[in-house]
Amino acid sequence: MSYLESRLRKFFKLPHKGETYELRSGLVSQYAGDRKDAIERVIGAMTVGKDVSALFPDVLKNVATHDLEQKKLVYLYLMNYAKTNPELCILAVNTFVQDTEDPNPLVRALAIRTMGCIRVDKIVDYMEIPLHRTLKDDNPYVRKTAAICVAKLFDLSPEMCVEQGFLDALKSMIEDSNPMVVANAVSALLEIEAANRDTKVLVFDAKILKKLLLTLNECTEWGRITLLTALAEYKSTSEAEASSIIDRVSPLLQHENPAVVLAAVKAILMHINAIPQESQDSLVRKLSAPLVSLISTPPEVQYVGLRNIRIILEKYPSILSREMRVFFCKYNDPLYLKLEKIEILVRLVNDSNSTVLLAELREYAMEFDTEFVKRAVRAIGQVAIKLEKISKKAIDVLYDLINSRSEYVINEATIVIQNVLRRYPTQHISTIISIIADINLDQLEDDEALSSYVWIIGEYAKHIPHLEKILDGMVSQFLEFESTVQLALLTTIVKVNLTRPSPNTQKLLQDTLNTATKEVENADVRDKAFLYWRLLSLDGDSAQKAVMLKKLPPLTSTIEKFPPALLNELITEISTLGSVYHQPGYMFAAGDAHTGGKVQTKKLEELQQLAKSEIVNNTVKAENLLDFDDDEGDSNSANADNGASNNNILAELNDLFAGLSTQPQQPSSVSPPPPSSEQSNGASSLFDLMGGFEAGASQNGAANSKKPEEDLLSLF
Amino acid sequence: MGNIFSGIFGRLWGINKEIRILILGLDGAGKTTILYKLQMGEVVKTKPTIGFNVETLTYKNISINMWDLGGQTSIRPYWRCYYANTAAVIFVVDSTDKERMDIAQKELHMMLKEEELLDSALLVFANKQDQMGALSAAEVSKSLNLVDLKDRSWSIVASSAVKGEGLTEGLDWLIDVIKEEQL
Ligand SMILES: Nc1nc2c(ncn2[C@@H]2O[C@H](COP(=O)(O)OP(=O)(O)OP(=O)(O)O)[C@@H](O)[C@H]2O)c(=O)[nH]1
Ligand SMILES: [Mg+2]
Repeated sequence: MSYLESRLRKFFKLPHKGETYELRSGLVSQYAGDRKDAIERVIGAMTVGKDVSALFPDVLKNVATHDLEQKKLVYLYLMNYAKTNPELCILAVNTFVQDTEDPNPLVRALAIRTMGCIRVDKIVDYMEIPLHRTLKDDNPYVRKTAAICVAKLFDLSPEMCVEQGFLDALKSMIEDSNPMVVANAVSALLEIEAANRDTKVLVFDAKILKKLLLTLNECTEWGRITLLTALAEYKSTSEAEASSIIDRVSPLLQHENPAVVLAAVKAILMHINAIPQESQDSLVRKLSAPLVSLISTPPEVQYVGLRNIRIILEKYPSILSREMRVFFCKYNDPLYLKLEKIEILVRLVNDSNSTVLLAELREYAMEFDTEFVKRAVRAIGQVAIKLEKISKKAIDVLYDLINSRSEYVINEATIVIQNVLRRYPTQHISTIISIIADINLDQLEDDEALSSYVWIIGEYAKHIPHLEKILDGMVSQFLEFESTVQLALLTTIVKVNLTRPSPNTQKLLQDTLNTATKEVENADVRDKAFLYWRLLSLDGDSAQKAVMLKKLPPLTSTIEKFPPALLNELITEISTLGSVYHQPGYMFAAGDAHTGGKVQTKKLEELQQLAKSEIVNNTVKAENLLDFDDDEGDSNSANADNGASNNNILAELNDLFAGLSTQPQQPSSVSPPPPSSEQSNGASSLFDLMGGFEAGASQNGAANSKKPEEDLLSLF
Repeated sequence: MGNIFSGIFGRLWGINKEIRILILGLDGAGKTTILYKLQMGEVVKTKPTIGFNVETLTYKNISINMWDLGGQTSIRPYWRCYYANTAAVIFVVDSTDKERMDIAQKELHMMLKEEELLDSALLVFANKQDQMGALSAAEVSKSLNLVDLKDRSWSIVASSAVKGEGLTEGLDWLIDVIKEEQL
């Protein structure tokens, strides 16, 4: 009691002047007009973000009024501040209960809605009677409001919802004669399911399915979205059932509200697998017009549309190939939209439209916005790598751009060229070498670009004019480079020594290894230098050549793809926020309402850490890529048996790797393995997670995650 | 135009001014029954009041806001939220509830100590007189130590809310006192 007393006294110790004091006098005035005036001012203050929670008891007193407008304002206030004054909420109970019996349905609905939104345990105890009453109200507006309340109550007290039969009442409301009530009942059931992933409350049977399909044409836009969502979650039991759902949903593809269109697309895609293949193909074709219609909306909505289209496109790559022009960037599109459009364009390009797209991308690369230009350059590379026929033209365009444009184009183009070379190791050498020969080292400011450049000169050493001069320059600045560049440079120097040894390169090699092992602090760089040192001290160069000159697996695409498991999840996320983030909802929607799951409760950092250490572990396993000994467990005995001189080195290598795996903080140079390679189930789900993280990251993520094998190999 | 008239002139003449009266007392004393008997002239079926009721009634040409607050132990601490600008308190006692007379006495005196109620008049209804074994008004008055009250207009009236006895008599007295003091 004393705690309560002191809390209550706080309300009366308010200052005797100033705004709060004035408002309080207004709220307890003996003139009805003054009170209403004060309430309006309090709400005004509340909506501009001032804390007026101290006025709680005085505002609350005004809830009992016949003035509907005033009642609405007070209810609004209560919803906002109930959490800050939970114990005082009890004072409103009597009014709530009375209001749910008011002759005016608006008042009844308002009262039950506010009760549901207040979310204070004390109130929950008193919801039983009003909720029962409003769920059975004559007026559909009241019923539909009460339906939503059940979902809110379920979150606070599932037991009560079950014991009091609210859940059953909600289920039977699907049969209601009013479409809005049906839609809200479904929406409430979906909400309950979303928050409690292991409870199935929306159970379909043929009757309910029929009802939902009928209601689909009768309700408002929001109601339709809800029903479409429910239909999408339903697993159809037969081909006939799936077709009837698709038939009923299809007309909504023409709806003017993009949210309805997307929800309809999703509902159709969730049932498409149940119908015969021929019908599937024609159905998918029918989706392209509605998807295109999403592009004639305001930028923000367009962006949502594009993010969804990207998911659909990955599942059904042929779907929009004739519509490429729709996705061309407009000069006044905001940057985020332009970047997303390019994502779509590079996925749509094929042999018949590639010339048009290349010309378009070239235009983009001539614009002023740095980000946009860089993306366009990268897109030219993506097109070149995707389509061999256009690759020569694309490289010519790159050549022109480099000659006429600024440094960031050169940086970006260097990265692109490395990838192009991995796709076409010999085809376009002459053009590419003249591009590379023209590049001046101090034009390369970007670390990724520098690394690419270093890789290229190492790989194509014999074509590079003034090679030794370039290497001289770089080795003398070795310590100034970022560790990623240092790693690349180490490899290149060793390679050059194997392919074009000369006294000068040998000296460079010696200097580099010395610097890297003695003066560099980064453990990865030092380890790699030691590794090379050992390798080079072996007798004969066959092992060295086998390791160093092994060609990387050819690249087939630099267009990022979702891992298959993620893609399937994303299809179910179409038209939700998850489709915009390209992450399943539970990855980002942790919160009050979603505490049930396990994954959500982990912090994002934790997950990232987990994923990283998983990658490191996999890197250890990946050592058998090079046919070294496998399990740490038997490696010792194996070594002891063989007793050959090489084994010492191998043992040390193993130690090195063991060291790596115990340092999960430093996997920075290790990229995730390819998602498609054979992983254990646990691991592959982690890669999905990583895919999720990277999807949101910049374009760099795309290139990085495409080069995992190379990075694994370049360790040696 | 009408609004301006009632706004400015109404205030000058005190026409729109509402008199605020609180009905307090332990749970089950009959507060809600009294409120609606006074307002509608009927005995309504009541439930324990979780929170409050407020009704406006016009009595002898003045507009009265009657606040009936819940009397349960858990709600009593919140009575103080309603004290501001209160002209009078009607304290209702269940005259048959002899065991809790002491608690009623303590609550009454504690409430009257509050600064905001220093000027308010007090009317006590010794309610449920229709019941067998009800204490008389004089006995209730004694149990509540009403004679101890200094500097306050107070009165105690025997009443039966269900029969409607004593209510107007009490209210008449209260309104006269309020008119004298406020208008
Ligand atoms: N016999 C009799 N019963 C009464 C009288 N007044 C009230 N009651 C009954 O007493 C019970 C409680 O009355 P309420 O008016 O609800 O009591 P209350 O003071 O509002 O109670 P709380 O709201 O819990 O504080 C009801 O059953 C009333 O019918 C009366 O004068 N005589
Ligand atoms: Mg009551």
